[in-house]
Amino acid sequence: MASLIARSLVLNSRRGVQLTSVRFANKMMADPVEHATGLEKQELLSKAAGNENPFDMRVYKRVSGDQTNPTSVPSFYDRRLVGCICEEDATSINWMWLEKGESKRCECGYWFQLQDAKPMV
Amino acid sequence: MTSSHGHHAFHLVDMSPWPLTGSISAMMLTTGLVKWFHQFNPDLLVLGVVATTLTMIQWWRDITREGTYQGLHTKAVTIGLRWGMILFITSEVLFFFSFFWAFFHSSLSPNVEVGSCWPPAGIQTFNPFQIPLLNTAILLASGATVTWAHHAIMEANYTQSVQGLSITVILGMYFTALQALEYYEAPFTIADSVYGSTFFVATGFHGLHVIIGSTFLSVCLYRLYKCHFSSSHHFGFEAAAWYWHFVDVVWLFLYISIYWWGG
Repeated sequence: MASLIARSLVLNSRRGVQLTSVRFANKMMADPVEHATGLEKQELLSKAAGNENPFDMRVYKRVSGDQTNPTSVPSFYDRRLVGCICEEDATSINWMWLEKGESKRCECGYWFQLQDAKPMV
Repeated sequence: MTSSHGHHAFHLVDMSPWPLTGSISAMMLTTGLVKWFHQFNPDLLVLGVVATTLTMIQWWRDITREGTYQGLHTKAVTIGLRWGMILFITSEVLFFFSFFWAFFHSSLSPNVEVGSCWPPAGIQTFNPFQIPLLNTAILLASGATVTWAHHAIMEANYTQSVQGLSITVILGMYFTALQALEYYEAPFTIADSVYGSTFFVATGFHGLHVIIGSTFLSVCLYRLYKCHFSSSHHFGFEAAAWYWHFVDVVWLFLYISIYWWGG
């Protein structure tokens, strides 16, 4: 028994751990995208296709935003909460519900309107 | 696949009975403890332990189903889970901080009742260079093996990840066994002055956390074996590893302050 152990130790240390013939072969795990499923998989596929922002989480920049040219806010539903950061150093966000059909004006003067959004993933 | 859910990255969970059963079982645990202490009847407590265990198994089973089998754990969801684990471990740090406070309160300025000295007169303390030192080596080694397992997972090396995590679990059990032996052989009890109180409450809660951590790692080992993890998404394992490192660090503080300085 002792000689068997000593022999396997000597052989294995000469070959290195990576080549050691353990009881199960050096198995690898599945590719992460292949392993994923559902929404997570769609997110990963989207990112692999080059879209770094599949759920549109970015902060929108306002356009000129007066009543004739309101900023479009995409939404899957008929109303969406919109938060306006009135100026760059503002210490609070001005939240308002935006309903489908009617434009709305933030107190700082900028106008918003709802727009139908296309599914991200 | 539910089309309504492609609209946002977050996970609005389905209705679940486990928060209710969890709160009922927590109530049974606490009231059961009181009933055991005052009326010498542990039945409600036992029921509470069973109910809590069943809640935990089923709640975390559901989370595994939602994340691994349904793919609902997007990047945003995982970030939320990370913050959750960080905040939980922070609360545990504060929990142990209180026991260290208690220890230092009594040991830095020992009462006349204990002999104005620390350790108190008549207390035979453990030699910090025997079993406690071995326990330190065991936990430090287990920290290394769990890190080995993590790197193996990130490199998609299934074999080594199983090896590393298995050794980690074995080391955790070895620590628990040795500590149980120490408790059995201890020449002092929890009733032996404030020394016994601070020693057993601090090391006792630590031991409980080792058991919790070992269980968490064992579940991860099972999930690893069942190929739930991918090389880039294995947050359950990371959470277990974070918790295990926390347990290791608490032990180091215990060893230095209570076993070594306090001995």
